[in-house]
Amino acid sequence: MDLLPTEEQLEIIGTVKAQLESDFSLNDLAERDGRDQVIDDTLWQRCAELGWFALGIPEEDGGVGYSLVEEALLFEEVGAHATPGPFLATILAAHVAADCGESELLGQILSGERRVALAEPEDGNQYRLTDHGGADLALAISGSRAAILDLAGVEITPELSLDPLVPLGTASIDSDPLCAVDDPSISLRASVLVAAELAGIARATAEQSTEYGKDREQFGRPVGSFQALKHRCADMAVRADAAVNLTRLAALSVVAGHDDAEFQSEAARVLATQAALENTTWNVQNHGGIGFTWEHTAHRYVTRAQFRARTAGTPRDHRAALLGASAT
Amino acid sequence: MNLDLTAEEQAFRDEASTWLAENLPTEERPPEGAEMRAFDLAWQRTLFDGGWAGINWPVEYGGRGLSDIQQMIWYEEFAKADPPFTLNNSCTFVGNNHGGPTLILKGSDEQKAEHLPKILKGEAVWCQGFSEPGAGSDLASLNTKAVVDGDELVVTGQKTWTSYAHVADLQELLVRTDSDAPKHKGISWVICDMRSPGIEVREIETMSHVTDFCEVFYDEVRIPLTNVVGEINDGWRVAMSTLSFERGTAFMADQVELAATVERLIAEARERTSADGRRPAIEDEDIAKRLSMARAEVTALRAMTIAGISRTARTGIPGPEGSMIRLFHGELHQRIYRLAMDIVGAEALRLTPVDGEGVWTGPYLQSFAYTIGGGTTDIQRNIVGERVLGLPRQ
Repeated sequence: MDLLPTEEQLEIIGTVKAQLESDFSLNDLAERDGRDQVIDDTLWQRCAELGWFALGIPEEDGGVGYSLVEEALLFEEVGAHATPGPFLATILAAHVAADCGESELLGQILSGERRVALAEPEDGNQYRLTDHGGADLALAISGSRAAILDLAGVEITPELSLDPLVPLGTASIDSDPLCAVDDPSISLRASVLVAAELAGIARATAEQSTEYGKDREQFGRPVGSFQALKHRCADMAVRADAAVNLTRLAALSVVAGHDDAEFQSEAARVLATQAALENTTWNVQNHGGIGFTWEHTAHRYVTRAQFRARTAGTPRDHRAALLGASAT
Repeated sequence: MNLDLTAEEQAFRDEASTWLAENLPTEERPPEGAEMRAFDLAWQRTLFDGGWAGINWPVEYGGRGLSDIQQMIWYEEFAKADPPFTLNNSCTFVGNNHGGPTLILKGSDEQKAEHLPKILKGEAVWCQGFSEPGAGSDLASLNTKAVVDGDELVVTGQKTWTSYAHVADLQELLVRTDSDAPKHKGISWVICDMRSPGIEVREIETMSHVTDFCEVFYDEVRIPLTNVVGEINDGWRVAMSTLSFERGTAFMADQVELAATVERLIAEARERTSADGRRPAIEDEDIAKRLSMARAEVTALRAMTIAGISRTARTGIPGPEGSMIRLFHGELHQRIYRLAMDIVGAEALRLTPVDGEGVWTGPYLQSFAYTIGGGTTDIQRNIVGERVLGLPRQ
């Protein structure tokens, strides 16, 4: 039993971090605020070339042959860097395509050639779409049911998004899905990956506040020397540590096929949601005036956390699922 | 990263579960005095005879030399066995979790040979003499004086918040041996015989009615210099090694038991009626939300504990990250018993003992200690802020 990343996993984390810092800098991406396609095809295909979408797909299906554990490590970094893009829809769609034996479609998704939006059912055939720009496919998920939908000819009504880097729209989609599965492992994967992204957000905002506490001086000393801020940073670090470690435990439990996999995944999702919402809120407060500006990245974590808290189920859905899950 | 148990760990789990089924006492723990002491020591002896004392202590000191993971497995099996008492609620706690581990790290060969077997066999009760009326959170300002006289120390002063002092044989005692040195440099860690002339123990009543809380007065108490653990005036460092244990594995048993408590509370909430009298308590939106969070949080606590064990396995000693677990655990424990008060309805007004089956209000009152004992949560936040995050000192 060991919850620390192996050397190989640390290498994956290192590569992802380096790439996100150079290619997905929030300052550079800010130019694309409000567009319906935030990540251009070149950048998306670079992620594909790095094998990010294929991490948890078996080698015989053209994947890298790791597991949900490594996917979760990727998502923790995606969260920590507030990286936009349809990572969740893409990776879930790859698994759905693999499950359905749609190898051509799988290949197109893994190569970044075809882009997948996320479609969350609202009412009947009405969907809430995110990251639809440049996508001709959508991954619809509801509980254990997941389907890949064709967006060709679908009219999307864009909406002003709370998060300017997460394009938002609505559409009604009537066509039959290209492929569909009813498989609890899809909802477990979604819960763990969203939890990982939220845990990453909680971790990064804890770190951002701590750094500010060391750098910013008032009354002639670093503000992080004052207990009011120091104690908030400590609480943020504890929340982040809890969320990160629980998410890793959940990912391992799912991969091992343990009886408590659903319990662990829902626990991770519930805890990481709370951690991200709390930490992103305090992070703005800890920065004072600068934290309220558009220029600072603190608000980006706030809106991303609010988005992810409602991605693939609401906080309320997941709390109910956790309370209903078997603990052993 | 993996959750696999080795064949040895799995065998250990099975062995523990079988042994507990056959040997766990069925009677409740007497709440006070000589009977309580006798019960705790008898249970420790039973553990020793069964090979369950000092699971993660080195073999050369009478332990089994097993890993922290195995220690955790033991606690998990203990909690699963539905015991009539909580493991850490025992006068053997300080010996097993502070005194013993400190002697293993810092004691002389003679000190180890004299004391470690007695701790494991349930032949000695230890208590802790750290806090003083004037030295609480600022522990290093402690003022109980010890003057060298020949081959003895002569100790005069007062300690407080000493659990089980009234039934203890020995005490891990911090004294000031150099008043001129900077405050951290003039402290010594000594083993004090609680039967020495000049010691007076007075019990302190607590808000939870638990009667094992004491203060201890020292009037020229003579302690042989051979009882100093580590170097004289180096007691602060010795004490910190004890505290790192306390923040590392000592409270693992409590954490495991807390997860079982949440499950019991969920069962209560299914059976009891909500405050409006119309449905099961678990269908009350507020109760459901808090129970769900509690479940997530105790699960996270386990994940943090495993992560801590993984880190300790690589570095050898528990790091300051243990303070994060202590902080999280203390407040979570308190939150859970406060939630219990909202679930149990009218029973929230009937006082129960702290320990035993189906009790909630006694543990609720006792839960206030969890954010104070072993360093208040405010101090834990300072430690996390300064030693884990590297924020500047005030």
